[in-house]
Amino acid sequence: MIDIRLGFSKTDRAAYISHLDCNRLFQRAFKRSGLPVWYTQGFNPHVYLTFPLPLSLGTESLCETVDFRLTEETPMGQVLDRLNEVLPEGVRALWAAPPVYSADKIASAQYEIRLYPKDSLPDALASARQTLEKPQLLVEKKTKKGMKQVDLKQHLSDVTLTQEGDCILLVLTLPAGSRLNINPSLVAGALNPPATGPFRFFTIRRTAILTDSGEMFR
Amino acid sequence: MDLELKEMLAAVQKPARYIGGEPGMITKTVSDMGARFAFCFPDLYEIGMSHLGMKILYGLLNSLPDVACERVFMPEKDMIEQMRLHGRTLWSLESMRPVKEFDIVGFTLQYEMSFVTTLKMLKLADIPLRSADRSESDPLLVAGGPCVCNPEPLAPFFDLFFLGEGEEQMAEFMAFFKEEKRKGTPRQELLRKATAIGGVYVPSFYTPEYHEDGTIRAIRHEPFAPEKITRRIVKDMDKAYYPESFVVPFIEIVHDRTVAEVMRGCVRGCRFCQAGFIYRPLREKTPETINRQAKALCDNTGYDEISLASLSTSDLSGIVPLLEELIDWTKDEKINVALPSLRVDNFSKELLDKITSVRKSSLTFAPEAGTQRLRDAINKNVTDEDIDRTVRIAFEGGYTAIKLYFMLGLPTETDEDLKGIIDIAQRILGIFSHTENRPAGKGVTVTVSVSTFVPKPFTPFEFEPQITTEEIKRRQELLYSQNNSRKIVIKCHDKGTSYLEAVLARGDRRLADLLEMLADREDAFFETCEHPNEAAWEECFQALSVDPSFYAHRTRPYDEIMPWDHLDYGISKSFLIRENKRAHESKTTPDCRGGCAACGANRLKGGRCFD
Repeated sequence: MIDIRLGFSKTDRAAYISHLDCNRLFQRAFKRSGLPVWYTQGFNPHVYLTFPLPLSLGTESLCETVDFRLTEETPMGQVLDRLNEVLPEGVRALWAAPPVYSADKIASAQYEIRLYPKDSLPDALASARQTLEKPQLLVEKKTKKGMKQVDLKQHLSDVTLTQEGDCILLVLTLPAGSRLNINPSLVAGALNPPATGPFRFFTIRRTAILTDSGEMFR
Repeated sequence: MDLELKEMLAAVQKPARYIGGEPGMITKTVSDMGARFAFCFPDLYEIGMSHLGMKILYGLLNSLPDVACERVFMPEKDMIEQMRLHGRTLWSLESMRPVKEFDIVGFTLQYEMSFVTTLKMLKLADIPLRSADRSESDPLLVAGGPCVCNPEPLAPFFDLFFLGEGEEQMAEFMAFFKEEKRKGTPRQELLRKATAIGGVYVPSFYTPEYHEDGTIRAIRHEPFAPEKITRRIVKDMDKAYYPESFVVPFIEIVHDRTVAEVMRGCVRGCRFCQAGFIYRPLREKTPETINRQAKALCDNTGYDEISLASLSTSDLSGIVPLLEELIDWTKDEKINVALPSLRVDNFSKELLDKITSVRKSSLTFAPEAGTQRLRDAINKNVTDEDIDRTVRIAFEGGYTAIKLYFMLGLPTETDEDLKGIIDIAQRILGIFSHTENRPAGKGVTVTVSVSTFVPKPFTPFEFEPQITTEEIKRRQELLYSQNNSRKIVIKCHDKGTSYLEAVLARGDRRLADLLEMLADREDAFFETCEHPNEAAWEECFQALSVDPSFYAHRTRPYDEIMPWDHLDYGISKSFLIRENKRAHESKTTPDCRGGCAACGANRLKGGRCFD
């Protein structure tokens, strides 16, 4: 049995495939691919799959991963080709290799948030900059034990704010993984309070998943 | 995908419903002379995507040269709100093109309660509702499906209806359509010519006339249109088109599995069941064909479950050899085989062993009525012994949950028959406790699911009244009051649907205004079309002076002209009258294999049904 980690992107239409649906999508894609994958041994056997870091619905990603097992040696090039033949538009298998890090090594993730202003772009940019420069950025975060107040300011790093065409591009790194995970939509929400905010809409893309030592999660 | 759509998708639940892109989706480009067909299912994505007929026709239409078929579903309320905010009309999932830009917009009419949704979808697509209001540049509006056996309430809206099975008819029609499009034939002329195609019904060429009392005096037709339109069928199921792949949805849908259709039609002749008559005669596929099609579908979809679909799968002559062949490869590929629509009178240990090799859950049977007398009257040829034997096999096989389907309000039903339902459930509890090798440490549950009888066209009960809403309520309460066991769970499914369904099922063209008025209202339904807002409907009945009882609660004499009498589904009126009389005498009629009852459907096939 060989543990394999697959890197894939999830863009355009595929951003609207939820985490659970993505699991089902890969179950079926592996079945269609005919690759020699390992099945769970329970009463209700299915392809063994784990996703080290789930992705929110509506978010694009260039750096997703899913772990599975092969029962026979298979060239990685063949794994990629056979999966790409059966994966839908927007989901591309990028690389496959034995995992380097365990999932609990995931510490942070990098995101691109594009915010589209309601009216004037310079005003919206100024408003976003002002919000980000506040000493505190308190938001309500949903946890298993109910709502909890979090100061986003303590968790933001490598923040850049620029203009990109008709929108504002915010690039930032946030804690990710099983210990502390900050959803980037909390940041977007803080920049754009309901009804009164300067933006009509935003999109999010995950661009990198990093380990606690700052390495790419592979 | 444009930014505005992304903005809309960010604001709705289950956005994957609206974007297509699923594995198995077919994206085709056609020439200017080709035909674009928007296939609309008047319900949510999850429901429509579960429907086999749509999968067959989607594959078939896309296999035709220079024809592209794309899917359209009814959006949920949150998306409708977004469409209104952004001024966007309904689009197809494949090319995301506005529906009104298609050459043909086709609806499948699977249940009467979707008629209002059909009109709502046309409004969302910004297509004029009435045929008379549409111009040459608007799409041709067509419909098919079981409800087309009485499409009269929708007659003013549609250009034409397809009667019967689409496999042959659609290929012929699309070739005809492309030819006429090339020639630039005007709409009226095209419709006139289309009447020459078997099974094509152009409603504007037929005009009903009414008596003072509201019943139909005659149905006049244009001289060039046939007096009767005969339903088209596939004669040889082994040669009929069947898709090798399905579109595999991202989100969970109602029936999320591979479906192998094993036969069409049913030999049984249960007198309440419209499907049992309008799909006659029985046409089976050979086990080889079924096995081949099932294998291809599993390989191409990646589904881990396959369902053997038909109206009564255990009636398939080759069921046991078929299951043996299927189990051969499904076991290795970890694919589960599901058998819906089992009957209690031919259920065997052998069959049970086959279907439970992977997992055990609950078993469902449909005795339909609580006493032998009523089961005889509805021609459900099932005995108490059949039921007892079946549940005993099931309990010995490790099952602990039994679900039973019954109908309430059947013609000739009395309170005794209703009490009989509880008696059956009680007896099943007794059988469980007397089963020696029953599963240890597990309790038994018997779920009694009760729906309300709706009289339907082309059945021996098309003449029968439905019981009134008050009487439905009384009988439901009687059922609940008879039950004193916690192991028996009674579920009466009727939130006013069956009464409104009864009005539409045997309705005529005078109901078109009603449907249009309901389509204009936001409040015609609470959640889905299974939950109509009766108050809203009542207001519309009153505003238009429509008497719903005229349609639902009236006994129709045998010689009354029905709104659908110009449509020929193979079943003769004299057969329906004979069967209706036998029902009132509680006399059964053998199934088609046991002896031909001369329903008339064999002439569709040509020759005898069975050798």
